[in-house]
Amino acid sequence: MEIKILKNILDRNQNKADEVRALLKDKNVVMVNIISSPGAGKTTLLERTCGKLTERLRIGVIEGDITTDRDAQRLKKYNIPIVVINTEGGCHLDSHSISKALGSFDPDNLDMLFVENVGNLICPSQFDLGETFKLAVISTTEGDDKPAKYPMLFREARAVILNKIDLLPYTDFNFESFSRDLRRINPSVPLFRLSCTKGDGLDEWYEWINGQSLKQKPV
Amino acid sequence: MHELKIAEDLKDIVLEAASEGNLKKVTLVNVTFGQMVQIVPDIFRFAFTECVRDTIAEGAEVTIEIVPVKMTCNECGTEFEVKDNLFVCHKCGSADLKIINGRELFVNSIEGE
Repeated sequence: MEIKILKNILDRNQNKADEVRALLKDKNVVMVNIISSPGAGKTTLLERTCGKLTERLRIGVIEGDITTDRDAQRLKKYNIPIVVINTEGGCHLDSHSISKALGSFDPDNLDMLFVENVGNLICPSQFDLGETFKLAVISTTEGDDKPAKYPMLFREARAVILNKIDLLPYTDFNFESFSRDLRRINPSVPLFRLSCTKGDGLDEWYEWINGQSLKQKPV
Repeated sequence: MHELKIAEDLKDIVLEAASEGNLKKVTLVNVTFGQMVQIVPDIFRFAFTECVRDTIAEGAEVTIEIVPVKMTCNECGTEFEVKDNLFVCHKCGSADLKIINGRELFVNSIEGE
């Protein structure tokens, strides 16, 4: 006997993500889902961004971490609300854990919520968290082939950060090849070339991310 | 590894549908995956087999249909298949596109007795 089902397998995740998105929209909170490989520089980017923008934006952070709270510890000095989600081996965050974490924030006192997803380029791209947009971060030490290998993330990201550009001379990263692949997948996506440790390119990034807020003030 | 989480959610849907349909045994599960979601069929089958161990779906076969990425152009209306990660309209060159196929994670039906 055959039984027709005709259903999205991730319906449960999608329904919760839709709820999260509606809540954030109602409160004018922008949620940024940051996706990268481990070690691309997501936490350093957040340190820089919080250091610059906390005077202008009310920022919150959800830290997705497999087992530790080390990333959250690094952000403590900015006196912002931070919630850690330990996935205990899980390779991505899902909308149910985000919904639960949101209960610890006061959305009326928040402009922008950064979600640092678990370091992984493929799994986090499949699970809608209810974010306003995805931000893809890659670094020059990972190689220039990432857009071609992980097209879904680069297709769906509203912006792409290429981090560690100060290390370009020490790698075989081919910027032309990277840029050509990225432009085939997502011709108009803004690309920021940064060194989050040395500071290159950050002013342009601060201006852009501040502009994404629905309640922004000038940088 | 997203295969495992997707297999777990599929298990819940399959068992619920089987129970509603009064099946005593599930023998086949038909799913459709878009190319863009990058599911590896062998890993998915392995994950699903593990998830349904000791349930009425233990040993069920999984047929997986992979659907290519298809877009429609918002400028000229052309529909085309995306090849070699080239996301621009084949006819007018516009990058303003809407996805039609390629992102599916879909369970179509189950069979059993």
